[in-house]
Amino acid sequence: MNYLLHILIMLCIYGILALSLNLLIGYAGLFSICHAAFYGIGAYASTLLMIKAGFNFFPALIGGIFVSSLFAFLIAYPSLRLRGDYFILATLGFQLIVYSILYNWIGLTRGPYGIPGIPRASLFGFEFDSIPLFLLLNSVIFLLVLFFVKKFYFSPFGRALKAIREDEIAASAMGKNLPLLKIWAFTVAGGVAAISGSLYATYVTYIDPTSFTLDESIFLIAVVLVGGSGNMKGPLVGALFMILLPEALRFLGLPDTIAPNVRQMIYGILLIILMRYKPQGIAGEYKFE
Amino acid sequence: MERRIASKVVNLTKSFGGLKAVDSVNLDFIKGRITGLIGPNGAGKTTIFNLISGFLIPDQGEIWLEDKRIDGLRPWEIARCGIGRLFQDVRVFRNLSVLDNVLLGVINPPGELLVNAFFNSKNIKTKESDILKKAREWIKFVGLEGKENSPAGSLSFGQQKLLALARLLIGDFKILLLDEPTAGVSPLMIKPLLDLIRKIALTGRTVIFIEHNMNVVLDIANWVYFLDEGKVASFGLPQDVLGDPDVRRAYLGI
Amino acid sequence: MLAQFIANGLVNGAIYSIVALGFSLIYNTTGIFHIAHGAVYAFSSYIFYTFYRNLNFPLLPSFLLGLFSGVLLGIFMEILVYRPLFIKKASSGIAIVSSIGINVFIVNLIALLYGNETKILFPGVQKTFQFGGVILTRIQVAEFVAFIIIFSIYFLLLRLTNFGKLIRAYANNPTLLSTFGVEVSHVRSWIFAVGSLFAGIASCLVAIDVGMDPNVGMPALLVSAVSMIVGGIGIFESAVIGGFLIGVIQSLVVWQISARWQEAVTFALLIVFLLFRPQGVLGRRKRIEEI
Repeated sequence: MNYLLHILIMLCIYGILALSLNLLIGYAGLFSICHAAFYGIGAYASTLLMIKAGFNFFPALIGGIFVSSLFAFLIAYPSLRLRGDYFILATLGFQLIVYSILYNWIGLTRGPYGIPGIPRASLFGFEFDSIPLFLLLNSVIFLLVLFFVKKFYFSPFGRALKAIREDEIAASAMGKNLPLLKIWAFTVAGGVAAISGSLYATYVTYIDPTSFTLDESIFLIAVVLVGGSGNMKGPLVGALFMILLPEALRFLGLPDTIAPNVRQMIYGILLIILMRYKPQGIAGEYKFE
Repeated sequence: MERRIASKVVNLTKSFGGLKAVDSVNLDFIKGRITGLIGPNGAGKTTIFNLISGFLIPDQGEIWLEDKRIDGLRPWEIARCGIGRLFQDVRVFRNLSVLDNVLLGVINPPGELLVNAFFNSKNIKTKESDILKKAREWIKFVGLEGKENSPAGSLSFGQQKLLALARLLIGDFKILLLDEPTAGVSPLMIKPLLDLIRKIALTGRTVIFIEHNMNVVLDIANWVYFLDEGKVASFGLPQDVLGDPDVRRAYLGI
Repeated sequence: MLAQFIANGLVNGAIYSIVALGFSLIYNTTGIFHIAHGAVYAFSSYIFYTFYRNLNFPLLPSFLLGLFSGVLLGIFMEILVYRPLFIKKASSGIAIVSSIGINVFIVNLIALLYGNETKILFPGVQKTFQFGGVILTRIQVAEFVAFIIIFSIYFLLLRLTNFGKLIRAYANNPTLLSTFGVEVSHVRSWIFAVGSLFAGIASCLVAIDVGMDPNVGMPALLVSAVSMIVGGIGIFESAVIGGFLIGVIQSLVVWQISARWQEAVTFALLIVFLLFRPQGVLGRRKRIEEI
């Protein structure tokens, strides 16, 4: 039973990550390989606020969102004025440097040793210290994020992003300020991803850099592409599928030493097949034409 | 600058590799006038459009919008100054609905600001419903009523062109750059289209168009520039330019 | 001391330039941001290792087989992954995701078969040469000499041979080229072959020098891409400027700060150029929206 609840909690966490990455890939048409970096920045920022500054979970969550959005804005500003491929490279570089900092700046992050003993979320003395309670908290936050993201997707802002994705040249001939719109999309996406980071940190009560690697960013891209991008249900379908996939693999009895590599290989093949035969994923709208 | 001149280019030059696509071109576009740019393929006409609308940076020369210099501005800044463009290859947003396409044609709607995605004040809501009403009117005007929710990619080329036109017209531009507006449009639609262009010019807007169909040029152009190999080879009233034997030889091979 | 670190930087820069030339060849011609270049890089050295250490082949044949297998892998990627997308006129986003896919697949396959630990080909101390106050190992000198040879051949190849003309024509306008009856898909395969060859040479030399692990491909890819941007996109040989700049600056950072922040140099250089000179050292300023 607890196992099922764990899956649901991870579904919320990855659902939020997928919805935010979708704003970039499915709406603005921006391929970002650094989403795990924002996930990690959110996790570490809120953790440090809770442990070193004694913040409660909820203000720490806000702090994490703020720090992550700030970084997203700072990265987006130089990279989005330029060509598409430069942007992907910049996100790749950003992902690697964030990992490098999390790993090497031991004074701040304790590097590979990670940060243990993260307090559970609590509200006015009430602690969410059991799995069902945490699932409740998670679900509420997830629904809030869903509501928030939905407003974006269906707003004129979201529509303008879709225009950019469809045809940048036509969009700019219609007065759409491309860099500004992309920068805002990136900033919002980074901020929302941080929410997942905070939830993850307070759930597992231990974080280290290995959860926020390039492989994780690639996994998130796979989630959005498998489920489909450009609409609301695609990313959620993707999160469901990709979370259940390793569980299905576990039934096949792969030894633990090679399981991570085999999983990655499957993601790789999945991406290739998807892009070739079904770029809109299972339930998506955008076909990358 | 004369109050009458809506836009002009001065000594405009652009090279690609070693080739001068546009060579010291001078053009004046008078307010309310319909000016045609004609010439053989590769003469530099679309390049001039790209330069005016900001998709290319000139190597030399100036581009003016009334008394403001606009060369070097980004395409969306130029659009917001009031220059709109109809592309030769149409460029509708294929995966978006017809309605969404036209809604996107509005220049800088307040709803597009990030904050207004949430703080949906009554002011914003009213503006948005105005825009929606106008969009539906333009869709009806170009004859695409009933197709508002169809994806733009499912329309025929001619219909996409009408959609692009509706999308352009809702933008309320002062100057319209039309790249081959009648190409691909069914013969029945050409006359209403030309009437529409004439009406637009009568409201004081400036129309500049590229065309290969000489009948269209003779029908609506007030003034014509004939371009050949990147230079202005001839200009004047349409019947004069098209009657010029040198032009006929260069362009029509006659 | 300074001279020693600069010499080290130049040697590293030589290696970076070789692998970057391969990447930039592929990008400047086909427009594909070939992230899997890193996988080809890693794959070559592992095949080299397999022949030399596991199958006990002599050094030179193992080296050549490593290169050859890298070339085969590159061509294989072009035919199996990129060409179908090219035929469908898929967007570059699709190509990049596919590139990520095959990169992930190959790298994890290597890790699966060989394990994650670093493999060393020549344990022990290397013979060295001395140039004034500077000491370089034999392999370091070989790396630099290899760069000079490869760069000279590449430079002449692009300008004097028919093949070079084909490549430059393809970079300029592939559709036009095909109307002249040139089998364009063959040109693409050759481009991937040469690009992958360069990756293989770089990685096998590095394997002799310091060994390898399954994840060497990604830093190599990053260096390649940044070198290309720093040098300037659109010019085939410009990546060399970036390669040497990264090599020397990294070395100075190791000397003055710490080896830990080496990789950050690449990224910092990228940010500086993106902010102040996105067209690179040799490139021309172009509008993003240019049709």
